Amino acid sequence: MAGKMEKLYAERLKRYVTAMRNDKPDRIPIRPFVAEFTAKYAGYTCQEVTHDYEKAFAAVRKCAADFDWDAVVGNMVYVWTGLTEAIGLKYYGVPGIDISPDTGFQYREPPEEQAFMKPDEYDQLIEDPTGFLFNVWLPRVSSDVSQMGQPTSYRSNLSFLKGGMAMLSYFNAFGRQNELLQSESGTVSAISGILKAPFDILADKLRGYLGLVTDLFDRPDKVLAACEALMPHLTHVALSGADPDKNVPIGFWMHRGCVPFVSQEHFDKFYWPTLKPIIEEIWANGHQVLFYAEGDWNAHLNSFAELRDGSIVFHVDKADIFEAHKGIGHKFCISGGIPNVLLSYGTPDEVRDYCKKVIDGVAGDGGYIMDASAIIQNDAKVENIKAMTEFTREYGVY
Amino acid sequence: MDEKQKSKLKPGVCIPWEEKLKEIPKISGDEQLIQKVWEDIDALAYMYIWQCLLSF
Repeated sequence: MAGKMEKLYAERLKRYVTAMRNDKPDRIPIRPFVAEFTAKYAGYTCQEVTHDYEKAFAAVRKCAADFDWDAVVGNMVYVWTGLTEAIGLKYYGVPGIDISPDTGFQYREPPEEQAFMKPDEYDQLIEDPTGFLFNVWLPRVSSDVSQMGQPTSYRSNLSFLKGGMAMLSYFNAFGRQNELLQSESGTVSAISGILKAPFDILADKLRGYLGLVTDLFDRPDKVLAACEALMPHLTHVALSGADPDKNVPIGFWMHRGCVPFVSQEHFDKFYWPTLKPIIEEIWANGHQVLFYAEGDWNAHLNSFAELRDGSIVFHVDKADIFEAHKGIGHKFCISGGIPNVLLSYGTPDEVRDYCKKVIDGVAGDGGYIMDASAIIQNDAKVENIKAMTEFTREYGVY
Repeated sequence: MDEKQKSKLKPGVCIPWEEKLKEIPKISGDEQLIQKVWEDIDALAYMYIWQCLLSF
């Protein structure tokens, strides 16, 4: 059995890596980014997989074994709310606490006037990003951590201790999860490491989207300098979690840096110049980056085409995958493009038809990975995920 | 990435060893050992806050 799984794992790894290098494997790899769908399939609530990572891990492994996928993420319900509650993070809607137990966790961006970073704090962030995060940001986003200059407290001290130990135990557990995926079902762990663009960090977690958009007009030099200050840190963190074997890519979550969230001019001046060097440095270290382009980033294909061939895998969400393939398919592997709304509300026949259309359109020369457009949550129908999987396995043979 | 894009505190560092060293009157034995362990643990704290920002 062990020998059989090792052989299966080796086949899958080769298939997955070959496609990511924009070559033609034996057949199209199947690599669904399944989050709360795994809970639905395994018989758990969203609350269970979000609050207990061992249940989340078990649900992923059950799906991987039953569906026979080539690659999965070890846990795509990435926010372990056990940890966020221990730290006292305020910005999550937690299943069973803030929202129903069967709804996926929600990120709750504060109103503009309550942004976690104030408009006059750019210089502090630029001077020392790490110090700013510890001294200003963390006390604002945590209900337990004391503000600087205020007396410390039992809860504040515990937040650091519990948060640190919880994070250590969670991240260490991913190692075992990856081993079990490999040994139990010969499944590859799809990504390793995390990256977000400096611009998206400012929008997501610091100034908020509305605050940042205002800053683009009121203090553009500060925005650019802040992005530049964040660059080395985000590069460092991404590389620190990267696959030491350089097989699977770093996961790069792309949010609101594209048209129409910002103008083309703002993308050209802020988002791209402070991201491109990061991608180039990561590639110089031998790692690909999975551009998980949530939404529609096709307005920027020309910019992405500036990157070295094979340095990224480009995931398509709402964008026109055929246009993406035409624009950059000769340089990069493409993944995704099967609409989540179809997987939730369509029929298996409709899913199969759509998969055929995508495969016929973009996978002919290899360099395509089957996946839904966006993270698959608990609204997706099991029969549709099955249809997507089984059709690709049969039709996607080269 | 050019020099302007590197902040004063290097990535991976919260409290630089040079700053910690000022607090220690005298080190005998293996100073590099003490420095390495200080920096390794300091890097864990660095990773904590950046992972809070990125992953949670």
